[in-house]
Amino acid sequence: MSIMIPTRDAAAVPSATPHPRPRPRRLRRRFEPIAGPLRVVLLLVYAIPILFIVLTSLKDPSDVISSQSSFLFTPTLEAYTAVLANQGLFIAMQQSLTIATGTTALTLLVAIPAGYGLARVDSRITTIGLGLLIVLQMVPQTANVIPLYQIFGAWGLLDQNLGVIVADTALLVPFATLLLRPFFRSVPEALEEAASIDGASTMRTFWSVMLPIARNGVATTGTLVFLMSWGEFLYAVNFFLSPGNYPLSALLAQQVSAFGINWPGLMALAVITSVPILILFVFTYRLLREGLTLGAVK
Amino acid sequence: MAVKSARNSRIRAFSLAGGAIAVSAALALTGCTPTSSGGSAGDSDTITVWHYFSDENQVKVMTDYKDLFEKNNDGVTVENVFVPYDQLNSKLITAVGSKTGPDVVVFNGADASALALGGALAPITEQWGAFADKNQFPEAVVHSLEDDVYAVQGYVNLLGLWYNQDILDEVGVEPPTTMDELNAALATVTAAGKSGITLSGLPQSQGEWQAYPWLTSFGFNYDKPEAAPLEDAFTMIQSWTGSGSLTREAVTWDQTVPFQTWAAGNVAFAQNGNWQLGTARSDADFKYGVVPLPVGDSGKVYLGGEGQSIGAFSANPELAWDYLEQTYFSEEGQAIALSGVGSIPSRLDAASAPEVTEDPILAAFAQSLEQNGANYPSPAVPAVSIADQQLVVGQIWSAVIGGQMTPAEAATKLVTDLEQLLAQ
Amino acid sequence: MSTDLTVSGPARRTPAPPGRAPRSGARWHAAKRKRLAFALPAGIFLLVFSFFPLAQLARMSVSDVTARTLNQPWEFVGVDNFVGSAAQGSLFPTLGNTIAFVLIVTIIGLVGGLAAAILLSTSNLLSAFVLGLMVFIWALPPVVNGSVWKFLLGDAGLINSVITGVGLTQDAVPFLYDDRFALLSVAIVNSWAVVPFNALVFRAGILGIPAETFEAARIDGASRWQEIRYMIIPAVRPTTLVLAVLTIVYAFRSFDFIFVMTYGGPGVSTNTLPFLSYLQAFVRFDFGMGAATAVISVLLVLVLAVIYARSVRAEEANS
Repeated sequence: MSIMIPTRDAAAVPSATPHPRPRPRRLRRRFEPIAGPLRVVLLLVYAIPILFIVLTSLKDPSDVISSQSSFLFTPTLEAYTAVLANQGLFIAMQQSLTIATGTTALTLLVAIPAGYGLARVDSRITTIGLGLLIVLQMVPQTANVIPLYQIFGAWGLLDQNLGVIVADTALLVPFATLLLRPFFRSVPEALEEAASIDGASTMRTFWSVMLPIARNGVATTGTLVFLMSWGEFLYAVNFFLSPGNYPLSALLAQQVSAFGINWPGLMALAVITSVPILILFVFTYRLLREGLTLGAVK
Repeated sequence: MAVKSARNSRIRAFSLAGGAIAVSAALALTGCTPTSSGGSAGDSDTITVWHYFSDENQVKVMTDYKDLFEKNNDGVTVENVFVPYDQLNSKLITAVGSKTGPDVVVFNGADASALALGGALAPITEQWGAFADKNQFPEAVVHSLEDDVYAVQGYVNLLGLWYNQDILDEVGVEPPTTMDELNAALATVTAAGKSGITLSGLPQSQGEWQAYPWLTSFGFNYDKPEAAPLEDAFTMIQSWTGSGSLTREAVTWDQTVPFQTWAAGNVAFAQNGNWQLGTARSDADFKYGVVPLPVGDSGKVYLGGEGQSIGAFSANPELAWDYLEQTYFSEEGQAIALSGVGSIPSRLDAASAPEVTEDPILAAFAQSLEQNGANYPSPAVPAVSIADQQLVVGQIWSAVIGGQMTPAEAATKLVTDLEQLLAQ
Repeated sequence: MSTDLTVSGPARRTPAPPGRAPRSGARWHAAKRKRLAFALPAGIFLLVFSFFPLAQLARMSVSDVTARTLNQPWEFVGVDNFVGSAAQGSLFPTLGNTIAFVLIVTIIGLVGGLAAAILLSTSNLLSAFVLGLMVFIWALPPVVNGSVWKFLLGDAGLINSVITGVGLTQDAVPFLYDDRFALLSVAIVNSWAVVPFNALVFRAGILGIPAETFEAARIDGASRWQEIRYMIIPAVRPTTLVLAVLTIVYAFRSFDFIFVMTYGGPGVSTNTLPFLSYLQAFVRFDFGMGAATAVISVLLVLVLAVIYARSVRAEEANS
């Protein structure tokens, strides 16, 4: 039997094309009087703000207000040198990396089995579970700060990476579970049943049958969780008591003070902060593209 | 068979990935957190200072204080901890729940009562009472609640009227000293195609802080809020937005953007503070000056600035007090803040130093302080209502500038709301 | 033959396995139930770190909690916080703002996401580039995106310069400081920020449609509109359900853009429930009232959650 890997190619399989695959190309080279211009509009709508970010990061603070809609200014790399000269930057980047990696790992550790469990059992409990997950998605993050602070204070997790990782995980597990569940549902039940008849334990079936097939979903969810925990700011600022522990997102907040916003600094830091994210995106481009549909199905 | 081997290799790849996740998880979870103090750790020789400064010059003042105190006290370490402005109050109050917090906290003076009510500040009544130099401090910079002193300000910040000398020369106008002169100047400047004035209309405490001088100049006060002076003040503001002297865009501006806009050179006046001195020097490409806000005899200008206090759970309150006494509250310390960021010293001796009196800009602020300086927040507002009062006034102020409410509507609504809050 | 449009339903692709012998059925079914144990770690984790805060939030909403009493025993006050919030007159206009805001963000977010996905479903360099830009935006923090739009929409900003430059209007359009435009502007910027995520998901759904289906349609002379109407939209229908839920939840809790761009102003005209909750809890330090406002949002979404969970189950039972 064929194992259906949820990819575009796999999706093409059931249509039973007789000819062997020179993979049918998605030819759409006809003249598009509407789509073409619309695509340019879309490009502008997203490129202009990014251009603005980059331009602002190259300005002198005194030029930010006076040259808002013109391109006439003397570019300077001052904001970048200032940001890069900040010794805290690399510690912050390390912290962001630790927190995002830890959160991703812990979230997956908890959410994968949950997504699997909720995918395989059809009962009232599943319905309630799904509903509760959405409600948890909805709770304002600010409302979690005070209770979690009390827990972490009692458990000695304040000012620890672990505390922030746990808080971020609690924030992202509902999202990750909701997203993972359909991936497991899409694995044919017969496969699992067969393994169980062969005598494989539930754990083994899960580990060696289910997980490998759902790996696309796991990778996609992991990527999204990583992106989200990379940018998380509120918990980081509240649960770290030493500024030396702040991740990048809190460093960004530092550019905005009661006494003014350092526009070029903010934009330069935003650009620098996004570089790791862009690298991650390039690597996971295909996964994101193909994986997301599945997760989103239901 | 082919399928099977493909599957196996997939499993292997996956296990590899799984292993990688597990390893990184282990690394992350056991990975040490770089610094692990930050709160008042109980280490007898270290004090932590929470603040919200991120501007380079302001950070330097904090560092100078640290160096000063460490130099004078052998073996003592000061750790300055930045907390974003929007998070400082809630972080302090949240920390109370787990009995943690800083040794020293530097915060927006207007929030002193909220923080004291929240239990985040230790009363410093005794230390203050025993402080030899306390008579150097005007009563307006000492924040008390229910007979206890909770915070004192080492300097004051206040608003003045910055003017663009080049524009005024061009249209032949003198810096105004009365409200009529200001209105006439705005009309002339606007007729000449320039913008009149920038200020903040943000619907929150910053808006209230900026509105207060104008409201009081028409006779408004919080002891007995009346609609008539409010209506007059709001009418004047809407005449400014109507004529184009003041852009309605001000409702989206905090206090920074209007100053940067003025510094770009096309606006005659800016209602802004002494803390902008550094920005003016670096950004303004024209001749400029400051006069006191021309708010007349009844007009009041808040004396704002940061309050300094000891954290309620400081393990080392004595050392924390020593720090305050030797930095923020000392003549030497206040001179550092003055030269670093242009803060007006709160000590009388420091404020009469030649650095203040001989600098034309600082002298204008000092003059305003003397003539119109007022407690911030107003003592007429009960401690529990301060945050509400600032928000309500800020929101109405914003609605007036935005043109959502007529002056009469706004005045009536504000008086109704305030009466409720002041009665608490 | 049923064209399996993408991945829309696992069971649809694998019809009920014939191998499910009645003999092993019962045992299998019992074993299957045990799989629920897999959700246990998540259940326990969330119980401690998510449900506890949720319960605290609920308790706070019916207690008198201010800065003074936060760290003391909370006094139960029933629905006082809800009543108080309503009596201050800001709750109902805020509720209206929230509904308008959620509607705008959801509609633009979904329609824009689908449109972008269709436009970018062709595999060419421009599409990949635009998609990259969109992901970049999605990953940037709201304080950056919000500030940028505040600049772009300002009187001296690029958009007003273009509009007045080409003579569309005499004066700058008051995007952010006029109560007729402000909510709309912030909502549109919020939609702009959520479109990338929706577009990614929709696009993946469209890419899952077998190319042969398109080619067959093309040979039959179907227009592009007909393709969209009869092939793409049905294919992404299941995706739309979950995206709608996620987008509505996002819109319901969105707060950052309002904070950065208008701070709820001018006046109170862009106050929405999450922003009002923030003002009450963290500006006015009336934590009880802030919690009450947050609970109202959660209750509104609870209705949505029930509808969603039921419809998912119904659909899965049918498939």
